[in-house]
Amino acid sequence: MKTDSFIAFLAKGAQVEPKPAIGPRLLGTASLGLIVSLTLVVVVIGFLPKATFATLSPWMKLTYTLLLVAVASYLTTGLSQPLARLAWPLKGLWLTWLTMLGVGAWTLYQTPTPDRLDHLLGQTWLLCPWTVLLVSLPGLVLLQRTMRSFAPTALKEAGFASGLLAGALGATAYALACPEDSAAFVAIWYTLGILLTGVVGAFASRWLMRW
Amino acid sequence: MPSFFVQYTCNHYPALSEFNNKPADQPSTHPFEREIAGLWVEAQAGDELAYTQMLQCCAQRLRSFFTRRMNNTPEDIEDMVQETLLAVHTRRHTYDSAFPVSAWVMAIAKYKLIDFWRRHGRRDRLHDEFDETLLGQTDQQPSLGGNESNVADVDGLLSQLPEKQRQAITLIKLVGLSVAEAAQQTGQSESALKVQVHRGIKQLSHLIKRQPS
Repeated sequence: MKTDSFIAFLAKGAQVEPKPAIGPRLLGTASLGLIVSLTLVVVVIGFLPKATFATLSPWMKLTYTLLLVAVASYLTTGLSQPLARLAWPLKGLWLTWLTMLGVGAWTLYQTPTPDRLDHLLGQTWLLCPWTVLLVSLPGLVLLQRTMRSFAPTALKEAGFASGLLAGALGATAYALACPEDSAAFVAIWYTLGILLTGVVGAFASRWLMRW
Repeated sequence: MPSFFVQYTCNHYPALSEFNNKPADQPSTHPFEREIAGLWVEAQAGDELAYTQMLQCCAQRLRSFFTRRMNNTPEDIEDMVQETLLAVHTRRHTYDSAFPVSAWVMAIAKYKLIDFWRRHGRRDRLHDEFDETLLGQTDQQPSLGGNESNVADVDGLLSQLPEKQRQAITLIKLVGLSVAEAAQQTGQSESALKVQVHRGIKQLSHLIKRQPS
């Protein structure tokens, strides 16, 4: 088809375009991802006993992961379109992680020397990042399929950001089942799980998000 | 195509002098942006004519953009122009007015170009010599399917298309329904139908090329 008639064809029946709704639609998909992750966590591991929620540690974990969810959402929204301002979301990610790392380092400093390694590795350090990754994968697929209907032009970056978001959601779900209670553990192994999901997202984007 | 046909001529502007002289009213706005920004606002408000003009300006700019970057595959340039226009069309509801529309269009063009290279890098390396021998024998037309009248057996070709594409092309291009009417009849959205037609036509042009003439 000649380009001119193609243009006439596209323009025919043009209607008023609605305001862009990338944020709300991503939020909807993210909620769905969180529900899937929660279901997986309940079925595979099971929630922590209720008494644990009287202590500080689950809330500390949830605060960290939910903060990451918020910042990663901004980043993902930005990377779902060709042009966006990304400086602040990126700074926010670093700030959140460094704060958590600072809190972890401070609590490590407070604990007596022989117990420090236990605090750092806990019982489940080998399992934690992989569990976070596995629990996050369905959310990652959902998010990337939604983003595909927007216009992500930097596929790898967008894939990485959506992986971070999915990972943070998965970590939120996993926090409700994870028996560890040290801040240093969360700052390192949770973060590693989220990063792993990000890397998987960056690689998967070529298949899941190409448009 | 029976519809209105407005050939909008875009200004040809010198590439750099605009930046150096910096006109007083709109300093440091790219001339391409100045040309399409107003049209785009009207187009987003549902103005068909403004949308047509805007796409024509974009087509011109995209053609030179792709021509400079696709030296080895000139036969694909027009196809890429159309693909980018289609991408602009199908994603225009995600456009954020905080950013200049010209930059938005060109970012999509760049993405489509990289995608094209990625798709063709492997294949072209494998087919290099074969392509060279072919080039000498066939006189290729730069615009795809411009010679529909020469196609002997449209029905035969159409039957090779997937059901949805065949239906969309039959209703809109052969029966002559408007996109809205076709949408009503098939229960699909208008933009979905447009995408089906575009894909179908691309597929048809591939089939025509493959047929021994």
